[in-house]
Amino acid sequence: MALPTLVTEHWYDLRDLSNLSREILEGADKILPHGIVYVLAALIGFVASFLIFVLPSQLIVGVYGERKLIGRMQSRYGPNRVGPFGLLQPIADAIKLMQKEALTPKGADRAVMYLAPIIFVAPAVLLFAVIPFGPKMILADINPALLYFLAVSSLPVLAAFMAGWSANNKYSLFGAMRIVAMSISYEVPLVLALLGVVLFTGTTSLQEMVLWQKHFDIWIVFLQPLALAIYFIAVSAELNRTPTDIAEAESEIVAGYLTEYSGMKWGLFYGMDIGYALAASAFAATVFLGGWSMFGLDKWVPPWMIIIGKTHLFYFVFIWTRGTLPRLRIDQLMAFAWKFMLPVALLNLVLVATERMLWVEQELDDSYLYIFAVVNIWAALGAIWAWSRFLGYRPERNPVRARLVNEAGGYVPVPEAAKGGK
Amino acid sequence: MEGFGVNFAFWTLSAVTLGAAGGVVVSRNLLHAVLFLILAFIGVAGFFVLLSAEFIAMAQVIIYVGAISVLVLFAVLLTPRAGRDNGETAMALPALLLAIAVATVFIFVVNDTNWTTVAKSPELATAELGTALLSTWVLPFELASVLLTAALVGAIMLVRSREEEAEDALA
Amino acid sequence: MTDAIKTEPFVLNIGPQHPSTHGVFRIKVTVDGEKVLDAEMVMGYLHRSMEKLAEERTYTQNIPFTDRTDYLSSMANNLGYCLAVEKLAGIGVPARGDAIRVIMAELQRLASHCMAVGAFTNDTGAWQTPVMWAFREREKILDIFEMTCGARLTCNYMRIGGVAFDLPAAFEPAVRKLLRELVPFIDEMEGLLVGNEIFLARTRGVGVLTPEQATNASLSGPLLRGSGIAWDLRKADPYCGYEQYDFDIPIGYQGDSFDRFIVRIEEMRQSIKIIKQALDGLPGGPHSTQVPLALRPPQGEAYARVEGSRGELGYYLVSDDGPSPYRFHIRAPSFINLSALKEMTVGGTVADAIVVLGSIDVVVGEIDR
Repeated sequence: MALPTLVTEHWYDLRDLSNLSREILEGADKILPHGIVYVLAALIGFVASFLIFVLPSQLIVGVYGERKLIGRMQSRYGPNRVGPFGLLQPIADAIKLMQKEALTPKGADRAVMYLAPIIFVAPAVLLFAVIPFGPKMILADINPALLYFLAVSSLPVLAAFMAGWSANNKYSLFGAMRIVAMSISYEVPLVLALLGVVLFTGTTSLQEMVLWQKHFDIWIVFLQPLALAIYFIAVSAELNRTPTDIAEAESEIVAGYLTEYSGMKWGLFYGMDIGYALAASAFAATVFLGGWSMFGLDKWVPPWMIIIGKTHLFYFVFIWTRGTLPRLRIDQLMAFAWKFMLPVALLNLVLVATERMLWVEQELDDSYLYIFAVVNIWAALGAIWAWSRFLGYRPERNPVRARLVNEAGGYVPVPEAAKGGK
Repeated sequence: MEGFGVNFAFWTLSAVTLGAAGGVVVSRNLLHAVLFLILAFIGVAGFFVLLSAEFIAMAQVIIYVGAISVLVLFAVLLTPRAGRDNGETAMALPALLLAIAVATVFIFVVNDTNWTTVAKSPELATAELGTALLSTWVLPFELASVLLTAALVGAIMLVRSREEEAEDALA
Repeated sequence: MTDAIKTEPFVLNIGPQHPSTHGVFRIKVTVDGEKVLDAEMVMGYLHRSMEKLAEERTYTQNIPFTDRTDYLSSMANNLGYCLAVEKLAGIGVPARGDAIRVIMAELQRLASHCMAVGAFTNDTGAWQTPVMWAFREREKILDIFEMTCGARLTCNYMRIGGVAFDLPAAFEPAVRKLLRELVPFIDEMEGLLVGNEIFLARTRGVGVLTPEQATNASLSGPLLRGSGIAWDLRKADPYCGYEQYDFDIPIGYQGDSFDRFIVRIEEMRQSIKIIKQALDGLPGGPHSTQVPLALRPPQGEAYARVEGSRGELGYYLVSDDGPSPYRFHIRAPSFINLSALKEMTVGGTVADAIVVLGSIDVVVGEIDR
């Protein structure tokens, strides 16, 4: 597919920042000796990614915004002391963490414990390589980008396991056991949900998915709302965020696999948790919410701003659930993944495959996409409702108000009608 | 293969993969051995990337690093006395012989194969792989899935016969 | 083959330093994977020897001690102790004093249940939001305590024969405003949690106590009522004129953690009802009877009990005709309710054990005294 965009190749066209960097590098290559330009490219990449992504997303939205928003949800102020509106709080935290001693407990497996944060950090950075930030702003436009994302995002599980196992602490071991036990459960529905998207768009490249959504002027979230729901739940389990922060459940196992970490080693885990959440949000924005395209608006607004905005929108939902929901138990999460999400994901896959067949084989008009969208939204709601009823979900049977008795006495038998199930 | 970068990557990956494989054998802590094994898997995935077989590289990471190593970790965690000193084992000699035999077979196969370079766009490799799996090689493909299903059912049967309580643990 | 896969049970110390033990309290849990095989309670980290110390001080001097047993409901503790002394010495309380005591005890119940509900949801993993909401409301109640007696947590407000001071003029409008604000808060809290699938899944059927188990373990308070037993000392053995107020006893269905939660929520509504009635019918007259400073009750013993926030809060006093009690004993509801912890946790998972502990709503100051 051709790139349908107004973006020009001029360096001052800030709608695509790669123009600027290319211009600088080409200019530098003429002056500087051969090879130095690579170093310069790395430096520019570092500075640019810091200014465009790390500072606004990781630090301001990720650390500051999350704390501030959750603070407001909990009717308190959140950080408001360091800098204007407390904006420098993340930096103050980082300085404090670097000064702290990173303890290693006696009897810990030192090498593994030392390596775990490093292995945890690297994939978080790698994940952004395949996210398209604009028509040409993509580091590695590889064909199996979606698979790359899945592959790389399975690595932090191992790092977390290493962290938990090496610390010689029972709580850490609990966290490690939980994260390993969970990982297979949620990855199966996650992959099945994304398979539906791949099936419909016919590509595993993220850039082409964005172009597909731009071409047909419809976001995949409308075509496959069920896939997005499953993706969201599964990825929040993968990211260890409430309501599925089972591996670091604070009220149960102190901090799970992070219990024995302190100082910047802990800070790396904390910072990269946000990095993963942002990467997962950016991925969801790309696959489900049209990426850098915005119904023609991307001609005027820089596309990288659009995708960063969508990423933050998705990240806000993460913050929101974190501020609202209690935590699931591990067996409940696994039962939910296998008994609910997996069948529903399979259903979604069958539905999408049928529609794709119809659409391609019958050579239907593009407007049929909108019919599919309506059908799929209703099918998603129906599937969720019907399958949960089938699994025995009967909320109306659960009494939510205590019974009232006016006289003190002994046991008051429960009337048969009010006997609730789960 | 051309260029300094590719050569450098090849030799680095070789060193990492072989070193990790050696680590699996030498390391006395079972969990360290598993971690070395994962490193070896990742090294192999790197080789696939070097060969422009990106899809297979990703599959290698997803399946071996993401799924199989997790199962191995499970197995190690469930093994009694996993942290014991695995210094001497009765299986050392048979394992060595087996390794030599497998290596011999592989070397013969590598030598006897007529390697040709196909000038083909790697972009199409994934689609062609899919088509081939579902047309030419559909029988082995389906057989493999039947085998995996059987293994799954078998695993469930094994667990179930051990303990009936497992059923209501999930309820 | 199957014998080769063996899991080894191991002991996990939950506490004394743990986010969810509500103080310095330790449970030695023997677990097989996630499953709890055995739970042993280790207590005494907060022991201050209160019962012995009280034998050295006069009856009035002992009132501040009672603040510090169950520090989340000091008013109820004051009340229980004062009732015991009054029973021992045969002292009457004026009608206004009784009404003020009822208002204060019910406000304290509201504050304590706010804490209980909030901390319980925190244990289920609702990351701090419900607990912060509950704290916000609790602060308002503590403000009223501060207005009345100058202290927020350890009030030391009740006296033998009545209360320490009369109510300030701003008290009544402040309480009425508070009650108006509390009703929507309780509805909001209920809406946030009762309809929440995850909360239900975590608490329904977790830590079930049958009515037989509950009575055999001599439990009281929301635990007993959660199991479906209509037992409330305010109805069964009225004190301070509770018989004149119209309120209901909320009881649960199957005796699980969720039932205890909804019982507490409903008890907050009933407390609001009682406070309103008490405010409407607040009699005039003195707030306290004059009691000699060096009180020497006649030889004998007395046991007075009140329905505290956590259950039957009893004070047992023996007098040898001296200025200080010969024996001073507290029937601490948390301590006795805790005895059912093992029954409730064994067979569940570690996560369930935390939820069950939260649903008991223990205060370690009261357990260890």
